Amino acid sequence: MSESTGATAPKPSSSVKLVLLGEAAVGKKCSLPTRTIKFEIWDTAGQERFASLAPMYYRNAQSALVVYDLTKPTSLTKAKHWVAELQRQASPGIVIALVGNKLDLASDFNSSSEGGLGGGSESDGDGLNTEDEENSGDARKVSTAEARSYAEEEGLLFFETSAKTGTNVCEVFTAIANAIPESTLKGTRGPGGAGQSGLGGRGDDTSRVSLTGPRRDAGAKEGCAC
Amino acid sequence: MESLSETTWDVLISGTGLQQSLLALALSRSGKKVLHVDKNGFYGGPDAAFSLQEAEDWVKTVENDTLTSSLFCNVSITSTPQPDQATRSSDSARLAVSRAYCLSLSPQLLYSRSALLPILVSSKVFRQLEFQAVGSWWIYNPLKAVPADASSPIEHSNSSSERTEEAEEHRRREERPPKDRRGELRKVPNGREDIFKDSTIDLKSKRSLMKFLRFVADYESQPDVWESQASSSFSEFLASRFNLPLPLQTPLLALTMTPDTPVETTTGFALPRIARHLRSIGALGPGFGAIIPKWGGGAEISQVACRAGAVGGGVYMLGNNVEAVNLKTENETHTSKRDGGESCEGLAEVQLQNGDKIKTKWIVGSDYDLPALKATSGFGKEISSTRSISVVSSPLPSLFPTITEGAPLAAGAIVVFPPGSLSTETKDVPGEMPPVYLVAHPSNTGECPDGQCVLYASVSAESSRGHTLLDQAIENLLESVDDESTPKVLYQIRYTQTSASSSSDKVQEPEAPPPASSALENVLLFPPPSLDLVFDDSILERVRTFWRMIVGEGGDEGDEGEFMVFEDREGLGVDLSDDE
Repeated sequence: MSESTGATAPKPSSSVKLVLLGEAAVGKKCSLPTRTIKFEIWDTAGQERFASLAPMYYRNAQSALVVYDLTKPTSLTKAKHWVAELQRQASPGIVIALVGNKLDLASDFNSSSEGGLGGGSESDGDGLNTEDEENSGDARKVSTAEARSYAEEEGLLFFETSAKTGTNVCEVFTAIANAIPESTLKGTRGPGGAGQSGLGGRGDDTSRVSLTGPRRDAGAKEGCAC
Repeated sequence: MESLSETTWDVLISGTGLQQSLLALALSRSGKKVLHVDKNGFYGGPDAAFSLQEAEDWVKTVENDTLTSSLFCNVSITSTPQPDQATRSSDSARLAVSRAYCLSLSPQLLYSRSALLPILVSSKVFRQLEFQAVGSWWIYNPLKAVPADASSPIEHSNSSSERTEEAEEHRRREERPPKDRRGELRKVPNGREDIFKDSTIDLKSKRSLMKFLRFVADYESQPDVWESQASSSFSEFLASRFNLPLPLQTPLLALTMTPDTPVETTTGFALPRIARHLRSIGALGPGFGAIIPKWGGGAEISQVACRAGAVGGGVYMLGNNVEAVNLKTENETHTSKRDGGESCEGLAEVQLQNGDKIKTKWIVGSDYDLPALKATSGFGKEISSTRSISVVSSPLPSLFPTITEGAPLAAGAIVVFPPGSLSTETKDVPGEMPPVYLVAHPSNTGECPDGQCVLYASVSAESSRGHTLLDQAIENLLESVDDESTPKVLYQIRYTQTSASSSSDKVQEPEAPPPASSALENVLLFPPPSLDLVFDDSILERVRTFWRMIVGEGGDEGDEGEFMVFEDREGLGVDLSDDE
């Protein structure tokens, strides 16, 4: 992900930890708009299979992507479980985005994607489609309305995406980036902004020791790390 | 997804303590099928870190678990009644929410020359860890014993910029009506320059100290000086060889972090440790030589290592106990003749608590993570340490002065109470008393909220006497710091931890290969975690040995690659399209 921002992209000034939960087959590599935010994406590495996620996973995550498969209602139930888990375990100010994936399998996909489905908010009328989904080749089992109303209740960002076609994937990240309060964004390197514990404490560089060399080299050497 | 029983596992690792987790990391690129379970619902086993709620659960678990209770006993939690809102006390005087704490069973410090650090780097997991510097070593000095020195306290700073600050602080202290202090803290000189500046040491003693420091910097090449006294008292060695009187021995003994009495602390134990301390200073930055992982020490490393195991395809299950192990199962003749010449012919059958019955070639665990397997692991004689973890109502800023210019903020301090400084009973002979160690972690370790501090206390003494000493040490420390009012202990976990004496109390001998009794040749057992307050590098030798046994000797270095040397993973789990 960080690679794809390309060599010409400006150096990120802030780093945001984003945790990824839910259905595994989610998205594609996407070229982030070259905002000056670098997403440090942590997937669950399968540790969620037996509810064995380590606390370090949630720690200081400023954002989370909870993904369900809109062709599988059970996956939304699971997603709700992860949202609850995030609310319990993660930093209080975490920005959570609920994402319904596999939009390409929904009958309303073509029309909506051509229309440039931005912000995930244009496919409101889907509730209507659920009745005749089989006939129309629509595999959608979770209506946009249902998922959105849940997202609104819990104060989550909401999107429907297609990892296959890339539809809306970048929009998700942009929306997350915009939703993270400026105050919790801290420089990826260098001093400053330290002392305050709480959200985004990873920026607390004044006490950080680099293992890869004397302190003055730290920035240069770690800069290329993903 | 395949069920656990349908898979033929190469390795079942039981327990997510530091040792097992590092093995999981070592195996993470081996292509072996690894099932990693822990009977606890949390990572880290005996090296875990807890929120207050988790600590409470842990205490209950230990009380009911016969295996774990062989490692931990006399476990209890006390927490002082919380001041009610009406008293208008500050936030630091109150316990915060449970999750604001991360109290570690493994707060060991790592010297910058520890063999673990290059491994964390070469295995690439260091990127998920954050390390912080351990600042000062302090010695508690009872004032009754040396009233003459009271006129020149603490001020042995090694940074001029900070010197004025400290002097200022000192002056303020003088202006206040004298508190009835029982003692004060003195900073252990951080190298030769500090010793020169130290006004409390006379010239003759300075010369003796310098002579010793020059010797220890290169002690390996001068066996004639010390080898004959390797297994006798270090204190005696310092007195006879270097003419160092007891008061000057104290800081040197403090640097060894010896759990033992001065009489029992041998020259062969002490020299390498002092050398390690001195040689580590500056290696990772100016003015410090030891570091700790943020967010709970060893617990954090174990989580990161397990995550690497999971990224490599290992399957992780918490809260799943190994209930029974049946080593005599059918011979899998088809699979036994693979290249790599695996020594195991058969598969063990393991009954897990969740009902799964799995087959595996290797079983790795420890006496406290596996049901009794008839043969005991037989690691050295039993030793134990009385310990407490305290949350105190002050950040104790005076313990964490600026290390030196350009150094990171200190995130740890060691306070040593030398034998005799806490003597409560007249019959106590200082030379026969164990030292007490308090390791202070401020809030920037992520272990407690701002305004508070965590004290990890330990002493090599039986429980009741041990806690008397620890409580007194904590009380004296809190009284000696220059706060407006004496800070309070808000919360405390007490326990006794048992281990086996390791190789580290002998002269640096290479670790013997692990005991692999013939009946249990596919079962690899780790010893209990070391009680050392410094990370025990010998762990790594055993991890390496087990790793090599599991990946197969093979004769050539080709297949298994180099131990813990991995390439960066493409995108580090970032490729979202990866369907697992």
